[in-house]
Amino acid sequence: MYWKYAVRRILNGILSYIIIIFILSALFNTVMEETARTQIEETVRGELMGIQQARQMTAEEIQNYYRERLDFFGKQYMLDRPVFERILFRTWNTLTFRFGRSTSIRSAQGERDVFTIVWEVVPRTVSLFTVAMAINIMIGLWLGIRKARKPGKTLDKSTSIATMIVFGMPAWWLGMMLIMLFSYTLRLFPSGGMVSTPPPTGIHYFLDMLYHMALPLMTLVLIGFWGSAFLTRNIVLSILQEDFIMSARARGLPERKVMYGHTLRTAAPPVVTMALLSLLATVAGSIIFEGIFSWPGLGNLYWVAVSQNDIPVLMGNLSLTVGLYISGLVILDLIYGFLDPRIKVGGRR
Amino acid sequence: MTFKDMRRGLGEFWSEFRKVKSGIVGLVLFAFFLILVIFEPLLVPFPEASSRWNDMAYWQDNPSGVPPAWMNAFTDQKRAISVRDENAHITENEITRGRMYEVVYSYDYQYDVAPRDMIFHLVGDGTAQVMLTMTSPDGINVILMRSTTVRLSEGINVRLSLDNDTRDNAFRFGTTHEDRAVSGRLTQQLIRPTDVYFSKAQFGIMNRPEALKGTYTFTAQVFFSSDQSRLDESFYVVAGRVSGFLGTDIRKRDIWSGIVAGTKWALLIGMLTALMAVGIGVIYGVMGAYLGGWKDALMQRIFEIFLSIPILPILIVLSAVFRPSIWILILLMSMFFWTGPVKTVRSIGLQIKEETFIEASKALGASSWRLIFKHMIPLLIPYSFASMALYIPQAIVFEASVSLLGLGDRTIVTWGQILQDAWRSGAVLNSQWWWVVPPGMFVAIMGMTFAFIGFAMDKILHPKLRTR
Amino acid sequence: MGKILEVQNLKLHYFTSKGIVRAVDDISFFLNEGETLGVVGESGCGKTTMAVALLKMPTPPGRIVGGQIIVDGQNIMSLNETVMRRKIRWEKISMVFQGAMNCLTPAYTIGRQMMETLQEHREMEKDEAMERIKKYLSYVGLSHDVIRRYPHELSGGMKQRVVIATALFLEPKVVICDEPTTALDVVVQAQIINLLKELKEKLKLSFIFITHDLATEAEVSDRIMVMYAGKIAEIGTNQQIYGEQGPMHPYTKRLLGATPRLHENVEELAFIKGTPPDLLMPPQGCRFHLRCPEVMDVCSKEEPPLEEIESDHMVACWRCRS
Repeated sequence: MYWKYAVRRILNGILSYIIIIFILSALFNTVMEETARTQIEETVRGELMGIQQARQMTAEEIQNYYRERLDFFGKQYMLDRPVFERILFRTWNTLTFRFGRSTSIRSAQGERDVFTIVWEVVPRTVSLFTVAMAINIMIGLWLGIRKARKPGKTLDKSTSIATMIVFGMPAWWLGMMLIMLFSYTLRLFPSGGMVSTPPPTGIHYFLDMLYHMALPLMTLVLIGFWGSAFLTRNIVLSILQEDFIMSARARGLPERKVMYGHTLRTAAPPVVTMALLSLLATVAGSIIFEGIFSWPGLGNLYWVAVSQNDIPVLMGNLSLTVGLYISGLVILDLIYGFLDPRIKVGGRR
Repeated sequence: MTFKDMRRGLGEFWSEFRKVKSGIVGLVLFAFFLILVIFEPLLVPFPEASSRWNDMAYWQDNPSGVPPAWMNAFTDQKRAISVRDENAHITENEITRGRMYEVVYSYDYQYDVAPRDMIFHLVGDGTAQVMLTMTSPDGINVILMRSTTVRLSEGINVRLSLDNDTRDNAFRFGTTHEDRAVSGRLTQQLIRPTDVYFSKAQFGIMNRPEALKGTYTFTAQVFFSSDQSRLDESFYVVAGRVSGFLGTDIRKRDIWSGIVAGTKWALLIGMLTALMAVGIGVIYGVMGAYLGGWKDALMQRIFEIFLSIPILPILIVLSAVFRPSIWILILLMSMFFWTGPVKTVRSIGLQIKEETFIEASKALGASSWRLIFKHMIPLLIPYSFASMALYIPQAIVFEASVSLLGLGDRTIVTWGQILQDAWRSGAVLNSQWWWVVPPGMFVAIMGMTFAFIGFAMDKILHPKLRTR
Repeated sequence: MGKILEVQNLKLHYFTSKGIVRAVDDISFFLNEGETLGVVGESGCGKTTMAVALLKMPTPPGRIVGGQIIVDGQNIMSLNETVMRRKIRWEKISMVFQGAMNCLTPAYTIGRQMMETLQEHREMEKDEAMERIKKYLSYVGLSHDVIRRYPHELSGGMKQRVVIATALFLEPKVVICDEPTTALDVVVQAQIINLLKELKEKLKLSFIFITHDLATEAEVSDRIMVMYAGKIAEIGTNQQIYGEQGPMHPYTKRLLGATPRLHENVEELAFIKGTPPDLLMPPQGCRFHLRCPEVMDVCSKEEPPLEEIESDHMVACWRCRS
């Protein structure tokens, strides 16, 4: 039962990914081709210069060579084929992670390969946001359960108000505030970046990174856990009103087992959904957030690519982001299905 | 669903809503924003902020990058406040050829820190020679401008700025009263004329000035060589060291005016996007529920694809490539936000479809459209409104995000645009909190407003979660 | 055969924002060991409230405001929550809930839930516990397979049987059945009723059987208690209520009369005019007097006490007193 559901979900995800990449490729085809053309010309010119260093060439020779090589590369990049084919070609390339070369950005090793550039920044984003999510979920769960236990009382009301206050607050603005306060006024934390320059080694590298992570983490947590608490509270509260909870109590089960066993276990699917969705949402908004903190992650790279018009990196980053996003949704469904016996085991015999 | 039914429904809804305190707070805040929008021209010193945000000329009499005026309440060293004085006393003296005016201005200076600048405006027609002198409270006469030629004409307002036009004289005045050792190291560029003029004429006037408080009198002698010329009016503007309700930004724009101007855009963007998004979403969900079968399955598939798209990155790329106007941006946002309500609406729709009154209506021969619009949609209206309220903050934050990156519509003032200028100009580095805090705070407050309203509505819709 | 359960002057009120709802207002009755006491009445008459009161688990905003409950010689009213939970609930009194469909936690298997309940109350090795679970599942006619299943995999009838098995496997003194068959179809209903009768015989149980279905009531009950508007109208043996003589209380009479019988020719459906009273502001005097066709003057002034008019037959009615 479950594996059928799982396979179907994964296939769906892959299909969605392919479709989106196709659409994106189509949309940005023209722009990307211009970039490709420019890059080809650069390469050929480079070649020409190399040859001319070895020997002299006549004007005609240069022209011929130039044209030949342009044609050659043109064929390689399928620039001579009809539009639709080109789009398919590009889609295929993107799907197989062949993103081409960047026009202006280099990876830490100095490479131009887009995939390397993009791939090496992924862990930085993931580390920051998953740590933030973990903290948010833990606080949110704990707080949400306490609120659900005494609904309508002081704790519940006051935290609900706080939730509504931060509801419309952009995380990046709060980040700006905290930077102004803690970095420039109080001088407690660094104002940006992931590590100091020059980066320390060994355990100190790790500690240094934590030190730099402190402010962005604080921002994410200050804004994040309220929502989790609120949703948890609602989910738990609605479960507490179910008959099976009363039945469990009537059977003489201690409150601890009723709350943390029956209630929480039943709440697990929607709570996990909420947690993962909030993670996805924050990552999607990471572009600006990372920019404010100069955190060299996926979002920041995206912004750099946009502002420098580096289309290959942009497309690569976008594809990866979409891929991560869809993977997140698929994983979410898989976990949900696993936690909810109705899906895991299926229907009636 | 007749009009009477709707009225009664609304009445019930209102009596329920009234009980939720947070909802009322939300409505009060919303009313506050509405007042800001409606009474904008009356509430701000610069009513044309909206249309002339990027017009340097409109703001030129303001100081650049100064904190709000009320900061003076928190410091011992009171800073001069920006002010405009129209009480110049103009007298015309009889002369044989041409026309000669004497304009007397008085400025009561009671601060510890001098203003950034003082600008004298002359309005009239003709070419004139102007001499500007100042009498300080302790009787010293200073010539600020000896013989400057100005050209007045209809519609052109001549500005005589102490900061720009009297630097040489200020330097000279300062050096006559300053210790040679100190003044030897300074140049015109390094001093601020107003700091010198409004200080006691003693040692330290140029590097450690002590404020001289009292009434300063400025006299302008304006001589026109032609009889046809005339001086109509004159006034001065003090560009203080603090200004306005929320200070100014680095381009001399009054931030409070900007914020108020941005309010209407925030409301518009939020509400329009939410309306369209929820509208599309609800109709999509209901139709899917109603049509069923393969049509529904197809709609679900399309919906899932849209769900898998991370909105912000795509919005940013589209904005970067196509540089949309605000209206297109609103449209784009709706095209991504609509996915929100669909799941819930569809399941509610499916439930409603099973209700017998739908069958009954069908049996009576009702057409599909009628069924959908008259029966199913009205039941979804409460949920739609709650949804809409909760989407508004999101839309506003998205627009602010896009603007922050510099991709927004530059022809209008939004809070995001103000923040972008602030970030770009290093306001965060310079701790110019009055520039960085208010726009974001207003975004947050407006978000809060609709959060209060939306959550209150949500509470009413889900009475199970209420707690008596 | 002594009294296994005795209730004296029990009061349970709901303290709502609109006022105090006197859902159960001073009722007294008893249950003999080994018998089935059927409790019958309209919706809202207080049957279920009385049931949860016996477990001392009033649904908020309800609170027990008075009375005594004596189970197997022990007055449980003064016991605190911990003792109630450990020693009384499910040990002495258990309950088969209304709408048992929703009484099983969807996230746990049947076996796990039953095991948990069993091990909470008894010091048992896992194997021993499993044996007992299997035994009782057999009693209710379910295969042992059920242990590995989740609630959503079972049909309504199967879930009902699981709930019954769980209610019985600690062998409590009193089992309250609150509308155990209402949500089931007729065929399954019959099965469950027979099952309950069988088990009562086999395990020597005492039941309180709550229902609004008079036919079922007639079949299972030894004695019958009729409730109206939070009070007891009449208590009598099955024979006394359903037999030739018929009930005494005007309400009970009309109630029985309103049940259509298949084998009779019914021209018109008899009904009791009016609606049950609002328990926020119950009528003065006898709560039924506004709808009673045999009303007298005194009925609107004073509440009739529950009095024995013949052996084992109690009625609360001015008209019925000799």
